[in-house]
Amino acid sequence: MSKPVLKTEKLTKSYMLGKRSIPALSNLNLQVNAGEFVAIMGPSGSGKTTLLNILGCIDKPTSGQVLLDGVDVAALPESELYKIRRNKIGFVFQTFNLLPYLNARENVELPMEGKIKSKSERRRKASELLRMVGLSGREEHRPQKLSAGEQQRVAIARALANDPAIILADEPTGNLDARNKREIVGLLADLNVNQGTTIVMVTHDSHVAAHTERLLFLNDGKITKEKQGLHLAKKKAECS
Amino acid sequence: MGVVTRAVRNISRRKIRALLVIIALGFCMAIMISIPSGVIANQESTEALSQNLSSTITQTEASINQTLTQIECNLSPSMEGFGFAPPDSGSSGFSPSQSGSSSFTPGQFGGGTRPGGFGGGSFSVGGTTPMNESLYSGISSIDGVAAVAPILQVSEGQNQTITAPNGRTFTRLVPDYVIEGVPLTSDLVENYPILPSNITAGRNLQAGDSGVVLLSENNTAFFGVGVGDTVTILDQEFTVIGVHGSSGVSDTTTLYMNLSDAQSLTNNTGYITTLYVFANDSSIVTDVANAISSLHPELTVTTAQQRLAQLQALQSSYKTALENAEASISQTQAIALEEIIVVVAATSLIVLFVMLYTVRERTKEIGTLKAIGFSNWTVMSQFMIEGVLISLIAGVVGIAIATVAAPMLSSLLLPTVNTFGSTFAGRNSISGATSNLATVTVDPQLMLMAFGAAVLLGALGTLYPAWRAAKIRPAEAMKYE
Ligand SMILES: Nc1ncnc2c1ncn2[C@@H]1O[C@H](COP(=O)(O)OP(=O)(O)OP(=O)(O)O)[C@@H](O)[C@H]1O
Ligand SMILES: [Mg+2]
Repeated sequence: MSKPVLKTEKLTKSYMLGKRSIPALSNLNLQVNAGEFVAIMGPSGSGKTTLLNILGCIDKPTSGQVLLDGVDVAALPESELYKIRRNKIGFVFQTFNLLPYLNARENVELPMEGKIKSKSERRRKASELLRMVGLSGREEHRPQKLSAGEQQRVAIARALANDPAIILADEPTGNLDARNKREIVGLLADLNVNQGTTIVMVTHDSHVAAHTERLLFLNDGKITKEKQGLHLAKKKAECS
Repeated sequence: MGVVTRAVRNISRRKIRALLVIIALGFCMAIMISIPSGVIANQESTEALSQNLSSTITQTEASINQTLTQIECNLSPSMEGFGFAPPDSGSSGFSPSQSGSSSFTPGQFGGGTRPGGFGGGSFSVGGTTPMNESLYSGISSIDGVAAVAPILQVSEGQNQTITAPNGRTFTRLVPDYVIEGVPLTSDLVENYPILPSNITAGRNLQAGDSGVVLLSENNTAFFGVGVGDTVTILDQEFTVIGVHGSSGVSDTTTLYMNLSDAQSLTNNTGYITTLYVFANDSSIVTDVANAISSLHPELTVTTAQQRLAQLQALQSSYKTALENAEASISQTQAIALEEIIVVVAATSLIVLFVMLYTVRERTKEIGTLKAIGFSNWTVMSQFMIEGVLISLIAGVVGIAIATVAAPMLSSLLLPTVNTFGSTFAGRNSISGATSNLATVTVDPQLMLMAFGAAVLLGALGTLYPAWRAAKIRPAEAMKYE
């Protein structure tokens, strides 16, 4: 039915530590379809961040294929990769990674700089995205004036700036308290349901993972288990 | 939200650090501006000095050539009163002048004695001790003497009483002008250089002139008169016949008139202060001088040849001074170059380390920018602009510091131009030439160059840190600190 946005084939990654080769991912096959909300879980060191980095074109696989929107990004040079990152991927980080000397709107505008020429258009779009994540009226506030949950909302708005094909989030709730955790994962689920945003999210938290549609369990660089999400899968099933 | 705005925000993010860096860089820039300013000032003062010296030498040489056959006879100061009648006879000698400010009182005659009449490289009638004219009539019959010109020179001015630290008081004449009486016979006026040669207005004195004066330019200002006007000198009226500019043989405050006019005007009938003796030929000048000396041992006899020797000695001193100055200049330039190199290196190193530190500190931020789609080029230019901006601000600060402190900085960093060796120490005969205190000014061109240097060094120092920033892996953004 829906086409794959992301597809890996025999994805292998090993880090070289001196002469020693440390395997992080081995022959990993993964497919994420458009409009899916996928959670990746697994113990520490299982290769979750490594996988997300490779999917997000900020790291290169040792071997195997990564097809993003039909393009094999593993073969692309840096001069092409930054455009893929800018146009097709939205990153959400555990530590929010907002620029402290820019206000909320300016942070959201950042990825648009190389893409949207008009300043006013960038402004307009950033304000709209901030409204969408529930931060109307907070445009001029700098990150230190915002709570952790609010900061992550700004980061999500920034990830959405260039209408990416996929949002990659590495433990986006890892630095949040219980209430904010729920709110952020709720926001992501809303975006997924209402806007059709494709999301791949790494998390340790099974409550958070429960909000997604599909759960992948990573162990020693391999997907060892797959599960249906509780709430979202039900919700979507009801809708259709 | 452009790269420049972000750069400005980043700099202002850590205000104290930015301030310190800008001040440090500003001082580097100020030094960079001050050193060339100092060198330029030194060069200018040396040029002024050499011009001054060479014009002095030319002037003196010209007057020497003109008066090569001239012998100047003055009464030695120790011989003062020679030929005076005993005071009680009262019939001759120097009676006090009618005005208290007239200078013919023994002990305050003229502006001080100057043996040899040497000053500033130009000649003036040097004798100040009065001589009884009649006692020296024998000189004209000496073999080889072509002419004798008796001259009277009297300084007029205000007496000033000076109290020395030990309580003693001195009276000193501060001259306003000098009256020089010249014998206006047609032979002397036409054949011998007894009058000033450069007339700037009116005409020169002529044989038989009387009741007229030739003023110097200084005198016209002092009396407030011009050519054709009547001027009152010591209560007597004269017509201004002409104005002379200062030249090698005349003083700038000397006015010329007929000798007999001068003698009666100053109450000195029969008295003179100098005898100019002209020899037939320059080859026998020494013989004639010796003959005068043996006839009148009380006289100080100076020939042009002796002056020539003095001149040559002085000339060689001038040349040494000039060489000293030039050597000093090249030494200064070498030091300046070394210092400039050090400052340039320091500036770019400061920028390098500060920017390297900034890049390290902002690794995660840079990683994030790359992860959200910034190109290497954008990241690099972001840092380049930041580095150049810092040094530009520092350049402005440096110019501000330099305009205030350039003289101080250059005197601290550069050796003072030593134009005169120890042989000249304390000797102020070359007045106006001893301009050791060079005036250091920062000219706009230099400021512009400093600005250019700021941009260039800022860019140079930031190049490597910016490249490092561009090379930061976007995965750094994922690191959880
Ligand atoms: N840059 C690197 N150099 C060497 N080894 C690395 C590097 N990054 C990750 N690894 C190793 O690769 C393996 C997978 O790491 P990864 O960070 O992907 O794990 P993770 O599942 O994200 O763990 P966590 O839950 O702690 O974040 C680990 O053994 C790790 O030590
Ligand atoms: Mg991880």
